[in-house]
Amino acid sequence: MKPLSKQIGSTLNRVDGHLKVTGAATYSAEYELPGMSYAVLVGSTIAKGRIKSIDARAAEKAPGVLAVITHFNSPKVPGFTPTGKDPSQPQTTGGRLKVFNDDKVRFNDQPIAVVVADTLERARFAARLVKAEYEQEKHETDMAAGLRQAFVPTQAKKNPKSGVADYVRGTADAYKTGAVKLEAEYVIPTEVHHPMELQAIIAHWEAPDRLTIYDKTQGTMATRRDFAKEWGLPEENVKVIATFVGGAFGNALHSWPHESAAIIAARQVKRPVKLVLTREQMTTMVGYRPHTWQKIGMSASPDGKITAITHEATGQTSSYEEFTESTVQQTRMMYTAPNVNTRYRLAALDVSTPIWMRGPGEATGAFALESAMDEMAHLLNLDPLEFRLRNYTDKDPENGKPWSSKFLKECYQMGAERIGWSKRQLKPGSLRDGDWLIGYGMGVGTFGAHRGSSKANVRLLPNGTVVLQSAVTDIGPGTGTAMTQIAADTLGLPPEKIRFEWGNSEFAPAPTQGGSAIVNTVGPAVQEACLALKEKLRTMAGASNAAFASARKEDVVFADKYLTLNGNDTARASYADLLKQTDGGFVTVESKPNGENGQKYSMYSYSVHFAEVRVNPLTGEVRVSKLVSCADAGTIVNQKTAGNQMKGGAVGGIGMALMEATHMDDRFGRYVTKDLADYHVPVQADAPAVEVLFVNQPDPHVNALGTKGIGEIAIIGVAPAIANAVFNATGKRVRELPITPDKLV
Amino acid sequence: MNQFQYVRPSKQQAAIEAVAKDANATFIAGGTNLVDLMKRGVMAPQKLVDINRLPLTRIDHDPGKLRIGALALNSAVADDKQVREHQPLLVQAINAGASAQLRNMATTGGNMLQRTRCPYFYDTAMPCNKREPGTGCGALEGINRMHAIFGFSDKCIAVHPSDMSVALVALDATVLVSGPRGDRRIAFADLHRLPGDTPEKDTTLEPGELITAVEVPDNPFTKHVSYHKVRERASYAFALVSAAAALDLDGSTIKAARLAFGGVAHKPWRLTAAEQFLVGKPATEETFKQAATVAMQGAKAFKHNEYKLRLAPNTLVQALKNATAA
Amino acid sequence: MNNEPDLPPSHDEARRNFLKQSSLLTAVALVPAPVVQAATAELDERVAAAIEKVPLKLEINGKKYKLDVEPRTTLLDLLREQLNLTGTKKGCDYGQCGACTVHVDGQRVNSCLSFAVMHDGKKITTIEGLADGDKLHPMQAAFVKHDGFQCGYCTPGQIMSAVACVREGHADSEAEIREYMSGNICRCGAYTNIVAAIQEVKNGGQKV
Repeated sequence: MKPLSKQIGSTLNRVDGHLKVTGAATYSAEYELPGMSYAVLVGSTIAKGRIKSIDARAAEKAPGVLAVITHFNSPKVPGFTPTGKDPSQPQTTGGRLKVFNDDKVRFNDQPIAVVVADTLERARFAARLVKAEYEQEKHETDMAAGLRQAFVPTQAKKNPKSGVADYVRGTADAYKTGAVKLEAEYVIPTEVHHPMELQAIIAHWEAPDRLTIYDKTQGTMATRRDFAKEWGLPEENVKVIATFVGGAFGNALHSWPHESAAIIAARQVKRPVKLVLTREQMTTMVGYRPHTWQKIGMSASPDGKITAITHEATGQTSSYEEFTESTVQQTRMMYTAPNVNTRYRLAALDVSTPIWMRGPGEATGAFALESAMDEMAHLLNLDPLEFRLRNYTDKDPENGKPWSSKFLKECYQMGAERIGWSKRQLKPGSLRDGDWLIGYGMGVGTFGAHRGSSKANVRLLPNGTVVLQSAVTDIGPGTGTAMTQIAADTLGLPPEKIRFEWGNSEFAPAPTQGGSAIVNTVGPAVQEACLALKEKLRTMAGASNAAFASARKEDVVFADKYLTLNGNDTARASYADLLKQTDGGFVTVESKPNGENGQKYSMYSYSVHFAEVRVNPLTGEVRVSKLVSCADAGTIVNQKTAGNQMKGGAVGGIGMALMEATHMDDRFGRYVTKDLADYHVPVQADAPAVEVLFVNQPDPHVNALGTKGIGEIAIIGVAPAIANAVFNATGKRVRELPITPDKLV
Repeated sequence: MNQFQYVRPSKQQAAIEAVAKDANATFIAGGTNLVDLMKRGVMAPQKLVDINRLPLTRIDHDPGKLRIGALALNSAVADDKQVREHQPLLVQAINAGASAQLRNMATTGGNMLQRTRCPYFYDTAMPCNKREPGTGCGALEGINRMHAIFGFSDKCIAVHPSDMSVALVALDATVLVSGPRGDRRIAFADLHRLPGDTPEKDTTLEPGELITAVEVPDNPFTKHVSYHKVRERASYAFALVSAAAALDLDGSTIKAARLAFGGVAHKPWRLTAAEQFLVGKPATEETFKQAATVAMQGAKAFKHNEYKLRLAPNTLVQALKNATAA
Repeated sequence: MNNEPDLPPSHDEARRNFLKQSSLLTAVALVPAPVVQAATAELDERVAAAIEKVPLKLEINGKKYKLDVEPRTTLLDLLREQLNLTGTKKGCDYGQCGACTVHVDGQRVNSCLSFAVMHDGKKITTIEGLADGDKLHPMQAAFVKHDGFQCGYCTPGQIMSAVACVREGHADSEAEIREYMSGNICRCGAYTNIVAAIQEVKNGGQKV
């Protein structure tokens, strides 16, 4: 037989590419159901208080309106029953917002009513007719006030070993007595995910106790669990479909009020209900990267060895739900330093709950740490790359464990060479091209190489096609394509013979897509399921064929219509015969991480980003002219999609560095930057030709594939690389993102 | 959005009458701003008079002037050979605005009449005297980083968002208007108004008046021109500040200049004093900086837009440098 | 109702509809806000529907449609919610993202920012009408080859815009492509690959 080219590591086109370029890929709001109705949310116009009354009469009488639901008339949601705690007291650990459950307003634009009509236009019109009266209370949305009342997260109080608990290695705050000392504050504003697809759901009660939702979510299983619990249903009675997800970047990691509202509405009107958020509502009610204040204290010896780092961070959360992230993690393990301590606090404000946004806290934290590294290198009159090399660590300083793999030095070298780091001048403002100053900067990113548990099932069809099914979603990285490649290599089949199906809670359970963990986790499950299928088929064939009975599963070969053996193609078992047995070609496998390895090694992915920027000193305009991202992410399953993912992270980092910010009018507790004209994300003209380099060395311990994860490290470290390059170009250090022209003129 | 009556007259006079007779009627051309505002409940006309099929799309260069029909699309104007030849500053300004798709929809007349992008104007839950007279100016004591530094009042500090209009005011354009009481011509500088006590009125047009064309007189500014727009990303964003600069150079001496700012006032902001200052002076950065100082006389900032006091003059200097080098 | 503005002959039907609306409104003495009034006065549903709609003829992807639509229905919502042509995407609904880009009489426009009735008699091309049967348009094929997308949601708009960009003659350099494609936001950040796809089509000399 003709040997197949290896798929893992190839540049296979996306398996769903054809659907995406023809408009045939179906996203959540695009399913056609008979009797569809349309829901539009009405939001509060105050940030805190009590709803005194809602006048829905005009809306109810408007043409085509099927229902106007508020807390006055909402059907009872079993999962919303009070837990016995005093509901009048703010409880940041209280959990998700229970929509239409009480008269409390907890943030501006909180859903206070949902209008359902037979057409979208009518629902939208009627929603404008709903009028509410409030008893307003004094709200607090100002981060400065939040900082004054910052508190230790409950999670940290309960568990001192928690990642958000205080950490000390050596002496706390030792930087204060260091030889060369730096103390600086860094601020990241509230940033919004703004995926291109608006958050959307179609809720359909197929029976009084059976719910199907077509929902924009990163985790079909998690969403199923949330809404089964909300309605007191067995999980198997709730079906979640999320085949195509139009970007998310973290904001579909949580279940949000609009989803509850659509399900309530569908219950009430007894028809399928489609609810698509507006772009403004994408800002106000489905999460964001929290406004975060940070302070870094750092000291070093004159020869460039870090002696101490203190990293403090306070992130914003809502008044009703505690959101935490790993903002200070990179500081604990990135550089060798005898004295390191971190403190992480929360500031509860009258806003909706934040949620992880790409790279999440680590990207926020890396802005502070990697900016401080650049500042210290400048104080020491050292090249920032050289400074990092002098503080490189061969084992994890947080716990003393060896790294499962670490090719960070290779990244430094490859990236520096490609950007032309040697052109960088130590003295800021030294390079100029006409009206533009030129600068170079770098930033490092790291993220845990996480692997969870996952199942996968696989079935051989009589025509020789192998179908795999997983509840996992593919929000854009190309999960379906990577899994197809892994299956193809494991089975020795061309990718056209593999069909990987995803995005349905009824498929084999898989974790939520997030934390760069999907290939690490679902990949091994697919691999093991395919191996199990081989073994099962071999055994089955072996029942009547001695050659198969004595063969190893590794020798099993899938031919066009029959199974055969490597080196013995006279041994044949036709698929048709094999599949006569009940469920003959079906295998489900559960794959779990190797706990022992997890205990023995510290597992991380790494990225190094090098930026070349051009700054107009007159107008403060900044253009990223070149960006090189180099990653140590273990085995690269697909060079094309992985490269694309890295480029996308870099573009996200450009947004973070140069333009992304919300502005809140604290008098009203209401955002003034709610759409894509006011909240800027990078456009085509902002994106340089990002060059991506992969070390592409398998990690021997995370899983058998050798993968470590890409999604987060693609953005972590990009923003500081750009900020550092702006400093190198201009001598101006901007410690509060984004670096807009007003901060440079 | 409310339901509305939709009519599409085939004759200009019928369109004018339809709007003139009905206080709740309005013209719709490209719709790129009006549809947006209607979706958000900021505007709620009860009758839309679609003028798109009126024959107002021609672009002609007659001796001494360029005449652009009010319904000529922004993209058509920017790509037109005559416009490129005679009014390159206008081309740069148009192409600095919006996106290729929007420029395929937006018309010359509509672009001038677009309304402010002030977020308080756009959010019906916020106070705004322009949207709802008497409710107060949300931006005055609020988030005002995008707002005016010239010509504002305590009723309104919004800015006009059009790029095209900045070039037109610099180039001494004239707007041709047809209304229920006949035709008239308005100097471009007099089309938009300052907010004063009635910020709800953006322009000096009377009810039912329809812009039919804009005329730009021939000028010597066919080479040394620049429209420099500073925004928070490289394209597809409204200006923090923009500057239009057109120079007539005799060697390195400035014979004449046309200058205007965008993003600084309730109307495109012509800089005649700075223009006068430049005449007869050498085209050097030093001269440009002095002219920028002249241009900034009378500017005043609010809490969040103080940077515009530095950015505006610098942007003007950059535009003048670009124009000189062009 | 002699004060109604005149309408082109092809809009007789629309005219009749308006007249009908006007007389209906007169009959129930409701002026001048038809719908708010209809709403608050609890007008009969069928009457409300009739006065709210106007006839519309469109040719979409080569197929002729005779429709009755509310004037307030945008071209985007008509495509997605009434004609099940969901390839055209809603990303912002305000002309700020480009996901809804379609061609109207060959020109790329944001379908979210115009009312469908304004396009009466025009030819619309959406992503569903770009391929020649099963054969992908060269731009579609180039997007697959260069991986010009990730989540795929902005992709139909990007491709419609890219085809127009080449046809307009605005794809002569990388810088020009970047500027003239800036009206299509890709939050996944596949911009570099999109440029590569457009350059391949532009330089490949295939008919677009």
